[in-house]
Amino acid sequence: MTLIARRLAGHLARGFVMILVVATISFFIINNIPGDPMAARYEKLVEGGMAPEAARQAVKVLYGFQPDGTLWQQYTEFIGGLFRLDLGVSVSRPGTPVLDVLTDAAKWTVLPVLAGTLLSFLVGIILGVYAAIKRTGRLGDALSVSGSLLHGVPQYVLALLLTMIFATLLGVLPADGSVDILYEPGWNAGYLGSLVEHALLPVLTYALSAYGGWILAMKSSVVTVLGDDFILAAELRGMKRSIVFRYIARNAILPLFTMLALSLGLLLGGAVFIEKIFNYPGLGWLLIGAVNDRDYALMGGAFLLITVGTILANIVADLFYTVIDPRVRSGEEVS
Amino acid sequence: MKRLAAVVTLLGLAAATAACSGGSTNKSGGTGGGGGLFTTIDVNRPGLEASAPANPYNPKGNSFPGYSSMKLGWVKNHLTDPNQALPGIAASWEIAPDNSAITLKLQPNAKWSDGKPVTADDVKLSIGIAYTQGSTAFSVTPGAAGAAAEVTVVDPQTVKVTQDMANPSPKFARGVLDTTVLPAHVWSSVLPADFWDKLKAARGEGADAEKAREEITGLGEKVIAFAPPKDVSAGPFVLERVNPSEALLVKNKYFYNAANVAPAQVKFLNYTGNEQIWNYLIAGKLDHAGFTAAPTDVMNRIKQAPGNEVIKGYSPVAVGMAFNQSKKPYDNVHVRRGLAYLIDRDQVTKVASPEGGTPALTTSGIHQKAAQAWIPDTLPKLEQYKPDVAKAEAEFKQAGLVKKDGKWALADGSAWKVSMHAPSGFSDWLSAQENIKSQLVKAGVDAEVVTTADYPLYLEELNAGKYEVGFWLMALGPAPYDIFQRLYGASNGWANVAGKVEHSAPGKNGNWMGGPEEIEVGGQKINPGELTAKLNSSDEAAAKPIMAQLAQAANQDLPVIQLWDYVNTQFVNNSRFTGWPHDDSILRMGTGVLPSGVWIQQGLIKAKQ
Repeated sequence: MTLIARRLAGHLARGFVMILVVATISFFIINNIPGDPMAARYEKLVEGGMAPEAARQAVKVLYGFQPDGTLWQQYTEFIGGLFRLDLGVSVSRPGTPVLDVLTDAAKWTVLPVLAGTLLSFLVGIILGVYAAIKRTGRLGDALSVSGSLLHGVPQYVLALLLTMIFATLLGVLPADGSVDILYEPGWNAGYLGSLVEHALLPVLTYALSAYGGWILAMKSSVVTVLGDDFILAAELRGMKRSIVFRYIARNAILPLFTMLALSLGLLLGGAVFIEKIFNYPGLGWLLIGAVNDRDYALMGGAFLLITVGTILANIVADLFYTVIDPRVRSGEEVS
Repeated sequence: MKRLAAVVTLLGLAAATAACSGGSTNKSGGTGGGGGLFTTIDVNRPGLEASAPANPYNPKGNSFPGYSSMKLGWVKNHLTDPNQALPGIAASWEIAPDNSAITLKLQPNAKWSDGKPVTADDVKLSIGIAYTQGSTAFSVTPGAAGAAAEVTVVDPQTVKVTQDMANPSPKFARGVLDTTVLPAHVWSSVLPADFWDKLKAARGEGADAEKAREEITGLGEKVIAFAPPKDVSAGPFVLERVNPSEALLVKNKYFYNAANVAPAQVKFLNYTGNEQIWNYLIAGKLDHAGFTAAPTDVMNRIKQAPGNEVIKGYSPVAVGMAFNQSKKPYDNVHVRRGLAYLIDRDQVTKVASPEGGTPALTTSGIHQKAAQAWIPDTLPKLEQYKPDVAKAEAEFKQAGLVKKDGKWALADGSAWKVSMHAPSGFSDWLSAQENIKSQLVKAGVDAEVVTTADYPLYLEELNAGKYEVGFWLMALGPAPYDIFQRLYGASNGWANVAGKVEHSAPGKNGNWMGGPEEIEVGGQKINPGELTAKLNSSDEAAAKPIMAQLAQAANQDLPVIQLWDYVNTQFVNNSRFTGWPHDDSILRMGTGVLPSGVWIQQGLIKAKQ
């Protein structure tokens, strides 16, 4: 426990510094994005028929929320806000704290991506073992090809293909939105069914796009383990196949757990294209809107959240590895 | 076999969830025939925001004009009378002959969705709130054209609003009618008790007035952020709930014309880009959608969906190829004219906007429909700039350009390339520029199309004078000043603040067009910026000769080459509802393109039997 606590403290300190660095970099990058949202809003109002003077006043009122002061003052205020978990107020949603907007959107990203990632992981490692064991047969070939194929297809192509099959041709699943508004929100079958129904295609896209990576990685890992002496020894000793299989799986899966923890860290930021295609209201979808609206506060908050997620996942991965891998534990204890 | 089993399992899961989702007790209506549920999008405002309040002033607010939020009247886009409107919360109104006041009579049976009556006090509070936002008739900018002076509650059903005649505007009544009416019993806390005293002070001069104006602007921020605990609507519908994908509105039983409101529910679908709207339309999901630019193949697929119909009408907007005259060789009118003779506008429109535009008959600064109403005698006399290579060559030669090896070059022999800019995503503009490029190249003028990342960046760089040639929306009717201020306003050097016109040199204060301050038209020197400013306070009779002069100036001087006049193209579906209006003046209402709620509340839309 002492070892884990020591490692955790070190990781948290490094993570804190990294968050500050990323926050600083993203603050200055975002504040240098060209394009004037005020001019765009003014144009829209005038094009819509508002008198120019009135449009000018309306824009002044609307963007009264923009931070003023020097860039340095804005920066110190921004960093100070971080310590209070205050990410500022959204420009495009006046009066709404950025943190509220982000937490509202995060649930629509985390749950489907988590479901898709875990599904692909489970299917990928199981089929990866078979692909390794049967690597000289047709089944092994077919599994490996399916992995390579799906690994190479971009997420947005998969999303469009699934939309075409299940929404357009078969018409069995909705291709946009998160839930049908006609259902009363709550723990009722209709609402929950609608939630699942709308999440199926995004989850399937995440799962299929990640599956290829898992199956190939697992196959490679198993093939490496298969050549190890202890497996040969076990087979020569005439141990049951199920026990040998357990040996193989336990040793081969170890590096994949690290990959899993790291990929979970990308949960918050890895869904931009899929959310855009399925009109799914998560963080990626929010980020696109924030860029279009030049909502600097929201953009900064979203980047920060993605950064924090990645850093935390790294910490968890490392700690997890420390717990499950006796070699790491013993190495640390010796030193 | 195992893969087949996986597919079967997935389909089974999909079918199970679909069946499960069909079991809700709350699901009423449906998307099938017979009315019930009306499905649409808010074309003026992409992206639903579930956490946004039911506040019409919040840019992401869940308040839907014509459905859950009501205006005093629904202003039309009449070609020559900007004050025409359909009744809203005001059942009728009288405009003083000299345009100095409008007296509004409220709907006698109007009630809020909580059963309380809509009164003149609601209207007065709503006008106070409108002042905090810089609404057209309720501006606190000193000397602003068409600003209201006094708001008087005559009786619980009558309100009189007078215009500050120091700088009157012919569209003052339009500005008043365009006011959103809010319930005082919900919103009164956003204005302080001394608001009207503050407003009086703000209209004056000096430090106190400035302070009062700042306070009112500060109140504007409070108004935008205000979140009513629940939606209280005087419209035909009231917001029931909203999630990030959809918003549901249900019928307001207290609405004064509830008996004639056909749909029981309205569902707004979320969208973030044109592609999603196209998909909704192709799937036949939408009962109504305002115009969304679509390429020809998409438009054809939309038309093929059962029940879909495209309705076309007048849209007071045109697009022009605008020149930065502070850059050579565009400072020379003969270069601009030569280009006008080389560009076949019919072909450009056919390629870029075959459904949403009609080729500009000439280039006058006015939409051709409005031009026929405002300047019918002048219009036939204007140069049409029909494609004519010989005339183009003559103009280029007069500008001193030289032709070498079949290519036009600048007078000193250096290369000339027409560099056109457009924001990426504006597919019709980009198609137009590509077409123009090929036409120009064919005629020996080198050309290129440069895309800019997005619209805010495009505008910033355009205003900074970085482009030689860009596209610019113009002819924004229906009022004469709004039509011409795009050519002879701030972007061309003339700032009209509080009725005073000042000219800035090219490159200063947003003057990116850089045209001359005076032009000779028909042997007479005119200042187009000052003439345009005059339109802000001219009545119809006085405006006509000025518009004729400005149209001639635009036609001969060509600050822009007007390419096509937009057509108001809307999509409706006849499978579930009927009664769609085809009248130009009410196809596009006031400041937006979301009229279907207005059509519904007027009782025009009927459920299909």
